[in-house]
Order: sequence, then structure tokens, then C-alpha cells
Amino acid sequence: MMLLGAGLCIIVLSGILARALERRTRAADRAFRWGMLAGCAPGLWAAVSLLVSQSPAPASAGAGAAFGLDPLSAWFLIIVLGVGTTTAIYGIHYLARERPGRRIGTAHLLLAVLITAMAGVVTAQTILAFMGAWEIMAITAYFLVVFEHEHAEVRRAGLLYLVLSHVCIIALVGMFAAWGGGVAGGSFQELAASAVHQRAPVALVLVLALIGFGIKAGVVPGHFWLPSAHASAPSHVSAVLSGVMIKTGIYGLLRVLTLVGPPPAWWAWSVLLLGLASAVLGVLWALAQHDLKRLLAYHSVENIGIILMGLGLGALGSVYHHPALALLGFTGALLHTLNHALFKSLLFLGAGAVLRVTGTREIDRLGGLVRVMPRTAWAFLIAAVAIVGLPPLNGFVSEWLIFRGLLGAGGTAGALRSASAAAAGLALTGALALACFTKVYGALFLGSPREAMVRESAAERGLVAPQLVLAAACITIGVLPILVIPAAMRAAAVVLQGRGAIDDVVAATQAASRISLAALGLVGLTAIIWLVRAGRMVRGGAPVAATWGGAFPTVTSRMQYTASSYAASLLALFGPLSGTHRIVGPTSFQVHTTDPILDRVGRPLWGWLRRSAQGLRGIQTGRIMWYLIYVISALLGLLLYLWLVAAQ
Amino acid sequence: MSTFPVFPILTLLIVLGLAPALPGIANRTKSALTGRRGAPVMQLYADLAKLWRKGVVYSRTTTLVFRLAPVVLLSTTLLAACLLPLDGQAAILGFPGDLVAFAGLFGLGRFSLVVAAMDTGSSFEGMGASREVTVAAFAEPALFLCFTVLVLATGQLQLDGMFGLPLAAAWPLAAPSLVLAAVSLFIVTLAETCRVPVDDPLTHLELTMIHEVMVLDHSGPDLALILYAGGLKMALFGCLIVGVLAPRAHQSRAVALAELVLGLGLVAVAIGAVESAMARLRMNRVPQLLVAASALAGFALILLLR
Repeated sequence: MMLLGAGLCIIVLSGILARALERRTRAADRAFRWGMLAGCAPGLWAAVSLLVSQSPAPASAGAGAAFGLDPLSAWFLIIVLGVGTTTAIYGIHYLARERPGRRIGTAHLLLAVLITAMAGVVTAQTILAFMGAWEIMAITAYFLVVFEHEHAEVRRAGLLYLVLSHVCIIALVGMFAAWGGGVAGGSFQELAASAVHQRAPVALVLVLALIGFGIKAGVVPGHFWLPSAHASAPSHVSAVLSGVMIKTGIYGLLRVLTLVGPPPAWWAWSVLLLGLASAVLGVLWALAQHDLKRLLAYHSVENIGIILMGLGLGALGSVYHHPALALLGFTGALLHTLNHALFKSLLFLGAGAVLRVTGTREIDRLGGLVRVMPRTAWAFLIAAVAIVGLPPLNGFVSEWLIFRGLLGAGGTAGALRSASAAAAGLALTGALALACFTKVYGALFLGSPREAMVRESAAERGLVAPQLVLAAACITIGVLPILVIPAAMRAAAVVLQGRGAIDDVVAATQAASRISLAALGLVGLTAIIWLVRAGRMVRGGAPVAATWGGAFPTVTSRMQYTASSYAASLLALFGPLSGTHRIVGPTSFQVHTTDPILDRVGRPLWGWLRRSAQGLRGIQTGRIMWYLIYVISALLGLLLYLWLVAAQ
Repeated sequence: MSTFPVFPILTLLIVLGLAPALPGIANRTKSALTGRRGAPVMQLYADLAKLWRKGVVYSRTTTLVFRLAPVVLLSTTLLAACLLPLDGQAAILGFPGDLVAFAGLFGLGRFSLVVAAMDTGSSFEGMGASREVTVAAFAEPALFLCFTVLVLATGQLQLDGMFGLPLAAAWPLAAPSLVLAAVSLFIVTLAETCRVPVDDPLTHLELTMIHEVMVLDHSGPDLALILYAGGLKMALFGCLIVGVLAPRAHQSRAVALAELVLGLGLVAVAIGAVESAMARLRMNRVPQLLVAASALAGFALILLLR
């Protein structure tokens, strides 16, 4: 823990240095880069050594400590520090282009604080430490979202984020208040004990946790703050927000489950169904987007849904006493959390590079970028295949675990069997994600440029290395899942509190080695067929001609299928659920995308709330006398209440 | 895996050899039922041999993605074949939950072919790609519902543990569900192999195609790889259907293999019969057909969940 604390201090210090040395740009960049690298190393070392050690996990780092590390915390700490540092280093080059117009040192400092706060959230052991770190995280993220505050829509997105993140703080305060009423020190151990002795209202705690952490994670219907906030932030910050910060919601749910033990059945089923809804609706709404970063943000909603399905399955397994299924569910959820952090931040970094080179996020204005920025294009392709959940990459491994758990539920007896039908929902999600990412990849990188958008092709330089690191991580986990599955199972065992069986771990590692075999087989077969086919090819390159245009002589790049038309036939089948609406004029055609929850539920509700709150304006007179009366009467009221309670 | 899987590999080689005959049988059936002579059953072999010897022309807009796609398509299909217990008992490579990998490999093949189509920058191929992913989005849940039915009926999570003895044992108890699942699988097969009523492999107008229009710009050996992978895909889905309808448990392996070959032929004949009996559906009707397939599998599931 000392090591981790020292590392986090270095991270904050490097942020302060980056801000203080604002004038001397090279020194500031260097200080921030090496400071981040040096600061993340001790924390990563502590977390990895805890996860790979064979000894039983230490119960906690001493009772009463505000921060401590167990395998569950360690798993999330790896995500926070690993992905956080990679994106922060990308941010050095990404933001350097904004000099001297903007004080980018501030952004570096805020990001360093955000990473530190997230590390604090996942290692906190008391209510106070947890909520303090949580609040710092929420506030710094707000300042990062409104970094480009000269645009009105960025300020609007920031406000929506701030309001929603405080709604979830209210829910969390309510949760801890309901739970920790009789707990003196407010440490997590005491909370667990109060849950075991059934002094805590577990049902209320779990519902408030689902609301608070669910909004943070971006679970439908609490997701609507997410797309605009994540699209407005600078791209490397989007990567941290989408890849890491929303995962603190998942961590929170898992930690609460750890503390309360097996939840009631209705809660587990609702988590599974919420996950299913988030997954299917998130990917559907992503398909409808025209803005690259909004599209990626909606995919976070989808992937949080997949993680939640794993979490729900894990909870169901512990409700119905199937520890093997519970282990599969929680392990799948944890592994998908890591995987999503890797490929989603990779996608956002790629989107940032595209934005820097072309100056636009509009998918329908781009095209043919693989010729301009080939390394970003290949890294993006790896991330796209991974996020769709296809072998041989990491997305497949975690989705396989969840699929296996869901289908395995079909082999049990009783109510749990019907959970297996959710596998079809997950399959639908995967197929829609395939449609979405072929759309993005095809429209962005392939074909010919739709508009001559390339402003400076040199802008890609410096942005590639972090992408390659993340892509390498995606490939490694996909081909050698054995490296991460045992560690994820150790973290999942914390949630299960030792109810998992050792046989399941052995079976999973055996299957993991078969996946490696299949992945290597795929690569080998592809190489063999490629070589055989290369033997058939003409030396000196094949002849080149124009694309077949249906015998039509003049084909222009404007005639390519656009991303919107690519998605149109699929979206039309889902009707109003897809949130698109078309405006067809005599010579014009427009497709608008809306968020069905925000625009049909959220805004009308907010309007009603504001109108009905008009009546309360009378109490705001602006005269100090009245405010003193309010304070005194509130005080007297509380004293009266205490006196009445004491009198009973 | 204690012993080297000699017999599964032998079966795989036989299936690999026979695969191109299946589209030929389907087309021949269609011709016979509509009163024509039609192309010989072995036509695809001749086509493949001819294409393999031909040269290639690439479009100016294409990149390495376009050249890699047919190779990835074939290698994923071959690997999927290794997961399937072709002789009814053992697969070359199997692990719990490998049916997810089976679907995922076809997904990767589709991904690469679709991306290759987008690589040409042609609006025809973009349209075909869009249609392909639309159809796949509805075929995938149906396929997984069928898999779920099989898992529930047998209690097995592994393809080569499920076909054969467990499925034969499940028949007396779960016959209605298995029949429904087989019908659903047949509809999914029609969609996945691009046959009528979902897609018409013999149409000559780009605007009405799905799969064919995606591969307009592929030529020579590349096209041969794609055509061969298509035939193999039909064989693999045929194996699934045969495995569900006629689980082979007690036969000797030679008899099981003979049954498989016969079954595959019958599936191809059925595909041809469907093609001669009906026209292809309007494009916006295709998802309804696939939702119907999902509904059938869903009913099968509900019957098992009782």
C-alpha cells in the first residue's frame, strides 16, 4: 500500500509539474511522461503480484486503514493505472497541437488527479475514503469534459454530466446512510458484518446501489448523459472516461455484492435484464450515430450491458447455489471490463488521431484513410474485431465466458434454466456490433475519400505508439487467455467469498489452452492459405483497374455507399426504437438521430419538474432577514425532533 | 486428447472433398423440378479449377484488406469444420462452449468479406454488405436459440459432446423441440448460404443481389477461395442439421460417415426443392422469415423449459 501511495503521489506531482512548467513546453512534456510512467509502475507491480501470487489473499490491509488492496481492487487498479497511463502519454502529443492557444498543463494535471482519484475509489476501505475519492473523480471529470468550453454544446454536455453524476452521488449517500446507520467507524468490514447480521435493509441498499452505480456505468435507462459527455471531451480523456471511469460503477456493484453476500433473486434477475436491455439498445443506438465519438460512446453502453449480463449471471449463480456458474459470470464480467477498457480506449485514441488528421468526426465525410494513416487504421481494425467479440482477439474470450455461463445455466434445474435464453440476446448484440463496426471501419478507412479532408497527415506521428501498446494487449489476451483468466478468477473469488470450486478453475484453464490452440490454428491456416495463393499470383503484381461500376463509365467517390445508408436498412427494421427520424423534402433528405430516453422521457420530465417547481420561487426573496429565519426555524425543528425522540 | 484423431481428420478430408458438390446437387434438383436439365452436379469443381488457374485484377481503391479477406474467410471456415464432430462422435478440436467459437468464426469470415466489399468503394458492394449484415443480425439469434435448445436437451456445452449419444438419448423426451430446432436451423442455413428465399445465387442484376454483389470485384483464385468457402459452409450447416435429425451413436464409424454423406445430399436436395417451390422474398420480408425461425426455436426452448 505504501508503494501504491507513493506512486500516486508521483502521478499527481508530475501533473503539477506539467502545469507549473507550462512555459517550457519540452520540459513539461518530459516531466509528465516520465512522472506518469514512474508513478504507475509501483501500483501495477503491487496489483499484479497480488493477483499472480498463489498464497491465499490477505483479508485486508489491516482493520481501520482507509485504503487497502484485495484481488478485486487489484484487478480494477490494473485497469485504472494501465489504461490511464497509456492514454495520458497519448494526451501529451494529442494536446501539444493546441499550444499556445490553450493551457494544456491544466488538462494534464486534471487527468493525473482523475487517475489518482479512480485508484482511490477502487482501493478505498471506508465509506468516507470511498465517497471522497468518488467526488474528486466526478468533479475532475467534469472539468475535463468542458475542456473545450468555448463550444455551447460542450458546456451543455458538461452540465448534463454534472447533474447526473450528482444524482448518483445522492443515491450512493442514501445507500451508505441506510446501510451504515448502526456502524460506528464506517469501514467496509463493519458494513459487511452489519449485512451478515441482517441489521441492514439489504433490499434498499441493493436498489440504491443499482441506481447510483448504474447511472455511473451508463446502464439504460440511466445512460443518456454518457454519449454527449464522452464525445465532448478531448479524445484521450474520452478514452479514460469510456474505458475506465464508467467501470468504477461496475466495481461499486461488485464491491457491494462482496459486502452483502448473495443478493435476493429479483435483484439478480433485474441486473441480467438491465444488462440485456443496455446491450441491445446501446448497440442499436450506436448504429444510428453519424458522429464517430458519439458512436463509440454508445458502444460503451452496449459493453456495460454485456458486463452487467455477466454480473447478473454471477449473482444468479450465487442465489441458486451454482458456484460454478457464478464464477463463470463474475469472471466473464471482470474480464470483459478489462477487455473493454483496452479496445474502447484504443478506438477512442484512433478516433482522436483521425480527428487530428482530418479535423472532423463526421463519419460520412471521411473515407480512404488507410492510405493516409495506415498504422492507426490497422490498430483500429484490431480494436474493431475485438469489440465485436470475434476470435482470435480478447473480446471473444470474455464473451465466450459469459456465453458459456448463460448456456451452462440451461443445464441446471429450476428457474435458473430460463437465463439461457439471454444467450440469443447476446448473439443479437454481437451481430449488430458487427454491422456497426464494419460500417465505421468501411466508411472511415476504406474506399476513397468522400471529401478532401486531410489537413495534416503528419499529425498522426506521436499518436501511434500508445495505440500499438493497447493493440498488442488485445492480441495477447486473445491468443493467450491463460495469462489473465486465473487472475480474473481470483478477483471473482473475492465476490463469491470462497464459494467457488477449484475444479472450475482447472476446467477454465484447460479450455483457455484450447482457445489458444484455436487462435494459433487460425493464424497458421491463414498464413498457409496466403502462401499457397501467393504461389498462384503473377510476379510483379496483379493488373489494376477501376472498381466495377455496373458498366457505368464515370464513377465518383460521392457515389460510394455512405455510412448512413449502410445502417438504414437495419435501423428501419427496428422502427421508432432506433431513435432515427427522417426529413424528406422535395430535393433534400436528412436523417436525425435522437436518444429515445433523453428526448422522449428525460427532457419532458425535466420540463414538468421545472414548471412545477415555479411555485417554490416565492421563498427566494433575496432579503437576508428571511434566510436567517429559515436557518433558525430549521434548527429549532431539528431540536424539537431530537427532544421528541428522546422523550419516547 | 490422448490419441491422434485419425478418423475425425479422415472424415474432415472427405467432407472437404465433397463440399463443392452440394451447391451442384441443390441446383440440379431445382432444374429437375422445373423441367430443365441444368448444369452438371460437378460444375463447381470445374469452376474452381478454372478460377484457380486464372489471373487476378484488383480495383485501384483496394488495399491489403481486400486481398486478405478471401484467405481469412476460408481459414475461419476450415477451423469451424475442425470444431464440428463430422463423424457424429468426435471433433478434431473441442472445448466447453466451442459452439460460441463456431458462430464466432463464421462471424469473422463475414466481417472480413464485408470489410473487403467496403474496400472497393463501390456503391453496389456497399449495398450488398449492408444487406449481408442485416440478414446476419437476424440469423444469429436464431442460430443461438437453436444452440440453446440443443444444450437444454442434452446438458452438454461442447459440440462434439452434444451430437451423438446425448442427442440420441434426448430424442424420446424432447422430439418436438428437436424437430422445431431442426426446421429453424434449416431456415438459418438458407440465409447463411445465400439461397432462395433469402438470396438468389443465380440472379444477374446487381441491385437484387446480397452475397453475389459483395464479391463482384474478386476474381481468379480469390473468387475460387470464396466459392469454395461457400460450399464448405453449406456442408457444415448441413452437418448440424443431420446431426440433430439423425444423431449417430451406435453405428460403426464407416456407417456413420455413409449416413452423413447421404444426409448432406438430402439437405442439398431439400434446399433445391425449396428454391423450385418458391420465389425469393422481398428484401424487407427476409427479416420476418428469420424472426419466424427465431420464434420456432423459441417455442422449442419453451417446450423444454416447462
